[in-house]
Amino acid sequence: MEYVLHILILICIYVILSVSLNLIAGYAGLLSMAHAAFYGVGAYVAALMALNLHSPFLVNMVCAVILSGLLGALVGTPSLRIRNDYFVIATFAFQVITFNVLNNWVSFTGGPMGLPGIPQPTLCGLQVSSHLGFLILVGSFCASTLLVTHRIVRSPFGRVLKAIREDEVFAQAAGKNVASGKVLVFVMGAGMAAVAGVLYAYYISFIDPTSFTVMESIFIISIVIIGGSGSLWGPVVGAVVLVVLPELLRFIGLPSSVAANLRQIIYGGLMVAFMMWRPRGFLGEYTFQRKEARE
Amino acid sequence: MEPQIITNGLISASSCLLMALGFALIYRTARFFHFAHGIVFTASAYCTFLLVAWLQVPLWLSLVLGTAGGTLIGVLTEICIYRNLRRRKVSSLVLLLASLGLYIVLQNVLSMIFGDRTRSIPSVWGHETITIIGARVTYVQLGTMCISLTLSFALGVLLKWTRLGRAVRAVSDNPELANISGIDSDRITVCVFAVGSALAGVAGNLAALDVNMTPTMGLGPLMMGIVAGIIGGGRGIAGIALGALLLGMAQHLGAWQIGSQWQDATAFLILLAFLLVRPEGVIGKKHRTATV
Repeated sequence: MEYVLHILILICIYVILSVSLNLIAGYAGLLSMAHAAFYGVGAYVAALMALNLHSPFLVNMVCAVILSGLLGALVGTPSLRIRNDYFVIATFAFQVITFNVLNNWVSFTGGPMGLPGIPQPTLCGLQVSSHLGFLILVGSFCASTLLVTHRIVRSPFGRVLKAIREDEVFAQAAGKNVASGKVLVFVMGAGMAAVAGVLYAYYISFIDPTSFTVMESIFIISIVIIGGSGSLWGPVVGAVVLVVLPELLRFIGLPSSVAANLRQIIYGGLMVAFMMWRPRGFLGEYTFQRKEARE
Repeated sequence: MEPQIITNGLISASSCLLMALGFALIYRTARFFHFAHGIVFTASAYCTFLLVAWLQVPLWLSLVLGTAGGTLIGVLTEICIYRNLRRRKVSSLVLLLASLGLYIVLQNVLSMIFGDRTRSIPSVWGHETITIIGARVTYVQLGTMCISLTLSFALGVLLKWTRLGRAVRAVSDNPELANISGIDSDRITVCVFAVGSALAGVAGNLAALDVNMTPTMGLGPLMMGIVAGIIGGGRGIAGIALGALLLGMAQHLGAWQIGSQWQDATAFLILLAFLLVRPEGVIGKKHRTATV
């Protein structure tokens, strides 16, 4: 039973991550490889505050979201100047730099040893300690993320994002503020990813930099691609598929070292396959096909 | 400044140059970021390792065959995956994502076959060093510098003065126009993947001889190659060589001043600075995109 709850919690965390990346990559068309950096910053801010300041869960959550949002603004700003593939490389650069800071700033982040012993969160006087409690906590955050994203993409701002994705120059010509749209969507996406990071840190109660590598970013990208970019429910489907599928490998009795490789082969292979035959994923509407910037 | 730092900078610049040239060649022709280029680097080294350590083939022959094996992988990715995608006129982003997926799949296949632990090619040269103007280098490092310079010149000659080179330049300028004038652009692209992958294969083997290998070793050199290409402006071999040189020097200066663990961060900070301030590279023409 605990195992099933654990899987459900993981699914919820990855739904938050992929829904927020979908906002950036699927709706605004800004493919970002820095999502694990936002996730990691969220986790580390909450963990460091909980360990050093003993501040309550919600305060840590708010601080993590704000700091990660600021980082999001920093990552999003180059998109005003750098386009397409080069922007992907720029976000890759942010991802690597963030990982380097987490890994090398030993006195502050604990370096490769990570941060153990993150306390259990307390909400309204209730200490969340059981798996069920965590599922309720994570699930409610997951549901509110979906709700917020639903509101965002249905709003005029959501339409501006889609316009940026389809034809940036046209959006600008129609009087839409492309620059603020791009930066804002990064702030929102990064903030949501930080929520997932905080929940992860409290749930696992130990974090180290290896959870926030560029491979994690690519994993989140593959969830978005497989589920369908530019749709609200696509990433949910993707997260369920990509979290559950590798778990099924355990039941056929593979040793854990092979299972880890096989898990990556599955999502990498699915990524290639979907790009080959169905670039819009299961439910998506965006196929990563955009009007090339006219020279 | 210490001669050792300059030498170390030159050594990493020359191995980075091989990756950068191969990557840039493919990028200029096929117009997308070929991430699986990184796995060609790794796979060549592992092919060599397989031949030398498991099948007892002589070292020189394994090095040649290992590079050929890596090249084959690079060519196969083009023939099996990219060509089909390109026929459908997909955007470069789709190709980039597909090659990212390919990289992950192949890297994990390698680590399933060979295991995640560090391997090294048993080599006759060992790690003896010789001293040149106050800096210590191993024979492999000296060889890396010579091979990298020679291959860059060879590539320059190939592109400038041969029939194939002229066809490659035509296809990278405008594939449709090249097709009209009777050049089979698909075939040329395969040639480009072969040449580019062979360069990566040489780089991979040299790196494996110099230090050792792990299945994840390809991503770092690939990214450094991309960074060098962007700094250099991606136009012409001289520009890329300059980019590689600047990057190698900056990394080793950074390692000397603030510690070697920050090498990656230094390289990527330089990349970000270039992308933001001078996206056309040190030497290169400005691109203009449409704005209102």
